[in-house]
Amino acid sequence: MSLFIVMFKEIVDNLRDRQTVFYALLFGPILLPLLLGGSLVASFKQLSIDFDEVTSLSVLHAERAPRLMEFLHGHNIDVTEAPENVQASVRRGDVLVVLEIPEDFADQLRAGRPAPLTLHVNSADKESGKAARRVQAILSVYERTLNNLRLQHRGIDPSTFDSLNLVENDVSSDGSSGQLLASILPFLFIMSMVMGGFYLAIDTTAGERERQSLEPLLSLPLKRSAVVFGKYGATLCFVTLSGVLTAVSIYTLFRLFPIELMGGQIRFDGRTLVRAFLLASPLLPFISALLITVSAVTRSTKEAQTYLGLMMMVPMAPFFLLQFLSIRSTTMSMPIPMLSQYQLLESAVLGDSIPILHILLSAGGTLAATALLLTLASRLYQRERLLD
Amino acid sequence: MIVAEDLHRSFKRPGGRAFRLPFGKSDAKADSRVVAVNSVSFTADDGRITGLLGPNGAGKSTTLRMLATLIRPERGSASVDGHDVTRDVLAVRQHLGFMPHNAGIYPRLSARENIHYYARLCGLDKQQAEQRVGQLIEQLDMKGFADRRATGFSQGQKTKVALARALAHQPQTIMLDEPTNGLDVMATRGLREIIRQLAADGHCIVFSSHIMQEVAALCDHIAIISDGSIAMQDSLAGILERTGENDLEDAFVKATLSLQPETDR
Ligand SMILES: Nc1ncnc2c1ncn2[C@@H]1O[C@H](COP(=O)(O)OP(=O)(O)OP(=O)(O)O)[C@@H](O)[C@H]1O
Ligand SMILES: [Mg+2]
Repeated sequence: MSLFIVMFKEIVDNLRDRQTVFYALLFGPILLPLLLGGSLVASFKQLSIDFDEVTSLSVLHAERAPRLMEFLHGHNIDVTEAPENVQASVRRGDVLVVLEIPEDFADQLRAGRPAPLTLHVNSADKESGKAARRVQAILSVYERTLNNLRLQHRGIDPSTFDSLNLVENDVSSDGSSGQLLASILPFLFIMSMVMGGFYLAIDTTAGERERQSLEPLLSLPLKRSAVVFGKYGATLCFVTLSGVLTAVSIYTLFRLFPIELMGGQIRFDGRTLVRAFLLASPLLPFISALLITVSAVTRSTKEAQTYLGLMMMVPMAPFFLLQFLSIRSTTMSMPIPMLSQYQLLESAVLGDSIPILHILLSAGGTLAATALLLTLASRLYQRERLLD
Repeated sequence: MIVAEDLHRSFKRPGGRAFRLPFGKSDAKADSRVVAVNSVSFTADDGRITGLLGPNGAGKSTTLRMLATLIRPERGSASVDGHDVTRDVLAVRQHLGFMPHNAGIYPRLSARENIHYYARLCGLDKQQAEQRVGQLIEQLDMKGFADRRATGFSQGQKTKVALARALAHQPQTIMLDEPTNGLDVMATRGLREIIRQLAADGHCIVFSSHIMQEVAALCDHIAIISDGSIAMQDSLAGILERTGENDLEDAFVKATLSLQPETDR
């Protein structure tokens, strides 16, 4: 009972603190996803080439290759008139690329020789380069059809020349952009959970010592465990709130930006997000316990901020570790809090299947570590040195 | 009622032995710990105001902390309303209202909320707590600032909130550690009035201070503490008579001096 009174008071008290509220409700849930997610979406937009979208291509002397124009039209490309000064317009960026069809194109083609085509591109401009890649990809399809026709004319089976038939199979299901998202999502979740409880944990432990309000509190007829767990409960509320809000804002962010932008088939829907959140949820009690325990050792809010600031390396370490070393999910890595959640969330976003054993080991290991930390925190609160 | 019997408490010297400067005498054994309270025995009766009078560093706060079950005595024993401070911790706290030195109040809560929180923690239900808080606000004349957040409260207002908090659960025994610190004349008089009233209602009150006039003006019973030991305890008249002085200040000096050969300074 007194546990809930302590918890309720700490929540109300800290909701009146601007700094705590900013970090719990705005920083983790809104600012961080916008910063990271925004730049992520922007980078997807630039990398991806969308073949279904109708675009236009300016062609100089389109009349010299009517068949090619038909082919382009069949592939959702509107052929437009080229501007007068081709090179200058491409350099200025008025048009991204211009396909020029030389005079002898038709003759060469008819003679069965390589037919020349010129693509004007400004390689200094990313957008121009992207357009050029798209044109090249479509032209190579056209080239292949032409080749086949030529061979058939001469009575040769076209497949004779296809000594290799390379089929690319990207097992990560979504390629690099999905990979990036998969590694950023756990980082976002964990960071916002930590920041959500950061200031409340400091205020309720080190802050209370600093204000000298701990001494009268501990002389009241209640168990010290009620004090510790009340403060822990309040931290847990803030950490959870921040985590849930972050999930909601990530969901909203990806709703606002069409899913096609993300390199194609990536499935980032509500279900994936809920799954990711559930996999990360054992971290809620763990992170709260870590925050409370570390700040319980400290004497002042300043000291607590220093310690916890250093402790921020812990949630960040797996992020960088996994970026540079490819540590694979194993039964060995699963009981490790934070590391295992990084790995599980990554798999969840990529849509890979996760063995149930891994889920159990991850949750079990994290909760066991939580219990250990809470025992330590209770011990710390029994010490007389708390009052120094 | 408080009975303290030969309380003793020492602390590890802050900083430890690691970086001791090689100056002065090195008395290794005495050096390792600071004796805060050497041997304190006194009795504080119900319906009386007992003053714990001593200079800075005499061990007043440490004694009160031991009585409030915040730290354990290394030797000796003490009881509050018959409950042992080391064994019966929760019962002691239930009977005791303790207002520590510079008792911090929560700046983002109003005066009313500060008191209400303590009342609830002491086991009162919501309604009882509200009623009790209303009563205390009346009793301590806090209406003017009861619903203001405590940020920027004056020292006197803070002291009143802290006192009200300590009284929230209607404890029989009340210990106040230098409550008049930082109060002006009027506020001090007001506080004295409140304390007298509490004693008249039958509460046992222990009041620590280093200000002689204050103790002389307020206390029925005085225990003089110096260097961690009780030098003398009696009524004001008794102390003056025993020391043959007619002023508490002179009596105080005499009483503490008589202690010095013993502690070997
Ligand atoms: N936690 C502690 N660690 C180390 N030394 C301590 C501790 N608490 C008290 N002391 C020492 O014990 C002695 C008595 O301290 P105490 O606070 O009880 O004095 P006091 O009578 O309350 O003085 P004041 O009038 O200044 O409040 C001092 O020398 C003090 O430095
Ligand atoms: Mg003191």
